Amino acid sequence: MPKRKTSLDSNSYPEILVAENLCKSYGPRQALQGLTFSLKAGRVLGFLGPNGAGKTTSIRILTTIMEPEAGHFVIDGIPSEHPEEIRRRIGVLPENLGFPRQMTGIEYLTYYGQLYGRTASQARQNGLKLLEDVGLQQRGRSLIGSYSHGMRQRIGIARALVNDPVVVFLDEPTLGLDPRGQQELLDLIQRIAHERNAGVVLCSHLLSEVEGVCDDVVILNLGRIVARGSVGEVIGRGQQNIILQNTLRVQVPSASVTKARQVLKETPNIMKVTLIGEMEGWLQIELINATNGNAEKDIQMNNKILGALIRAKIPILGFEIEGSRLQDVFLHLTEEVIK
Amino acid sequence: MSDIQNVKKVAISKIKVSESTLPAWWLVFRRELIDLWIGGKAFNLILIYSILLGGMVYVYSFNTELSLIPPREAVYEMLKNAMAVAMFVGLIIGADSLSGERDRATLESLLLTPANRRQIIVGKFLAAFSIWPAAYVIAIPYLYVLAQGNEVLAPALLWGAITGTVLVLGYTGVGMLVSFWSSSNKVSYFISLGIYALLLVPAELPGKSAGAAGQFLQWINPMAAVNHFLSKHLVNYRSVAEFWTWLTSSVVLAVGSLMVLLIVGSGLRLEAGRGSKLWAKLGRAIGVSVITTLILIASSALPTTAHQLATATEPPLQISIDMEYKTVRAGDSIFFNTSVTNNGIVESVSFIVAMNIINLDAQGEVVDPEDWSPQRTQYVEHLAVGESITFKWRVNAILDGDYMIYMVVLPEPEQQDATSQPIASQGIHLTVTPFTKLNPGGVLPFAIGTPILILIIIYLVIRGRRKQIDAGGS
Repeated sequence: MPKRKTSLDSNSYPEILVAENLCKSYGPRQALQGLTFSLKAGRVLGFLGPNGAGKTTSIRILTTIMEPEAGHFVIDGIPSEHPEEIRRRIGVLPENLGFPRQMTGIEYLTYYGQLYGRTASQARQNGLKLLEDVGLQQRGRSLIGSYSHGMRQRIGIARALVNDPVVVFLDEPTLGLDPRGQQELLDLIQRIAHERNAGVVLCSHLLSEVEGVCDDVVILNLGRIVARGSVGEVIGRGQQNIILQNTLRVQVPSASVTKARQVLKETPNIMKVTLIGEMEGWLQIELINATNGNAEKDIQMNNKILGALIRAKIPILGFEIEGSRLQDVFLHLTEEVIK
Repeated sequence: MSDIQNVKKVAISKIKVSESTLPAWWLVFRRELIDLWIGGKAFNLILIYSILLGGMVYVYSFNTELSLIPPREAVYEMLKNAMAVAMFVGLIIGADSLSGERDRATLESLLLTPANRRQIIVGKFLAAFSIWPAAYVIAIPYLYVLAQGNEVLAPALLWGAITGTVLVLGYTGVGMLVSFWSSSNKVSYFISLGIYALLLVPAELPGKSAGAAGQFLQWINPMAAVNHFLSKHLVNYRSVAEFWTWLTSSVVLAVGSLMVLLIVGSGLRLEAGRGSKLWAKLGRAIGVSVITTLILIASSALPTTAHQLATATEPPLQISIDMEYKTVRAGDSIFFNTSVTNNGIVESVSFIVAMNIINLDAQGEVVDPEDWSPQRTQYVEHLAVGESITFKWRVNAILDGDYMIYMVVLPEPEQQDATSQPIASQGIHLTVTPFTKLNPGGVLPFAIGTPILILIIIYLVIRGRRKQIDAGGS
């Protein structure tokens, strides 16, 4: 993938997308209430939220398909008052994108390349390169109507890249793909950010994939941002705000499950031990809340439990604190606002 | 100072329009053209169109009644129908052009490009209009064969091209406007078809548009007005100068719809928006209007009331006829004379002598005297006391069967709120025996050959496309 040369001085203007106080309503319902966030070049931003949170509205506003009622945004230095210029600098894979079934992949990319101002031969060359980038070089000459869902998502991403965009918006790109397809697409998204130095806004419901791919996250609920920052920061803040350390999960070999349960029963401050994955050997350990949310004491408590298992010579295959995953924070934050 | 204020300082200097090798309207037009024709939609519609025209030509030639229509009328009827079908196709393609893309979720990716919205509209409009030149070329052989060497062919081709172009431009524009404001293709089709039906019904029933109001309605209806113009110019030998004003409404429709499209086109959006609800209501209103119009037209055809007949007065005119019965073959003509005499004591009022033909079979099939005779009525200004006037009549026996021909003298009512008593003659009992012509005018090769030719073209296009894909896509 060609690395894009940024036109802005990265120190002076490190952010390639800045949105301030964007608002939009549909009749009496406020779809967006003061959306403010920014995105830097080469980073992937996870845009999260339950259904109806305002994700698609945000994407449509930022991609100039829809106008905000209030607020402002700037992409690559171009203010939102110049939508045509912004469209030259962004690439978009909308959710539920339709495709012309009678066009081949290369025709599709050539056509869109020309609409962005390339000559026919330039657009075709660029299209062939993009087909290679998204792994469709073997099927570029087939009709899009004959493509699988995964291939259509790939050609959709290739289309989003025909103008060598500064910011790429991907709305549910892995929806309906099998696990291998999902992983390949996530790898592609990371390559777009790192090799092209483009900013990527990734809308997704699959929080595990966001956690694995994104550098930053914005969590929306009912049109408001409820969390914003790097993935680590958001999870950390989530852990501070909610006392979730009362439950741990430990994975041991299935042959050692009985012994591990015995050891844990003898360990102080443990209220209950439950086997939650018989085949995998996952044990859920519920603690007596003796630390009152004190992080340092929590860590000591965790270490004592692990120490007891190690002293009993039980191998530890996995260890998890409930609340340490983005999904836990997401569910907690969105639930809070709904309440 | 916020980040936004910082970047705004340099923003404008970064804005420059990329140099595009080809304008967006041309790219969209070319793409839409390929989708429409190579994708098969236009070819399918054209195939159906050619089959319809072939069927019409066949009926005009083989149907014993219609085959006796003079070439001028046959050419006019074919041209009228070809234009009506082409307008319908243009309207339907226009109606699908934007709302169809919304439904198929392909509009968003087009709107996400820097292509100017107005240029997108222009490209799509030109592609939708492309159906007309093809439809017109296909109609030419049919017009040629129906003209049977008559001089009407040249003006028919000229005015067909001009009026058809104007009408299809207008109808395609209307279809696109409907599509522009419709949130779904279903709504767009429904409203477009409603508009088409609303304009088609009065155009196909010109006889109902009597009186100044009726004439005005016909004049403002683009389809009806153009039909009237073509009918007068091609069939009745009337000059263009006399009737050119009848083209006004079609020109206004074409120019108006295009201008509105260009004006609103810059606001092309992914969702039809709040206007779509209003549009859906408008659609329902149009649907109700169509039904109401049909009911009104049907009710206007009811016979005059008994009250009107009761006020009739008896004039002193008498009519006689010189034939009692006749047996002929379908396609033959009969000639007879009628004589009207004023047996009164004063000069007669002006009157009309009208011919009527009644089918005597049990089914009571309706006979249209206009199809049977070019001299349906004769007008007489006055008849002096004792004076007689004789008319020679020709009747073409179109359909086999048992008929009664009779004549009626209709004195002109003396004032607006009075009526008069018609006087009927003795009837002529006419028996028509069957006769069928085979392949008159060499029509069959055209009627069957054109659709087959189009099928071959479709096959070749599909095969060419497959070869192109096999050879490397674009």
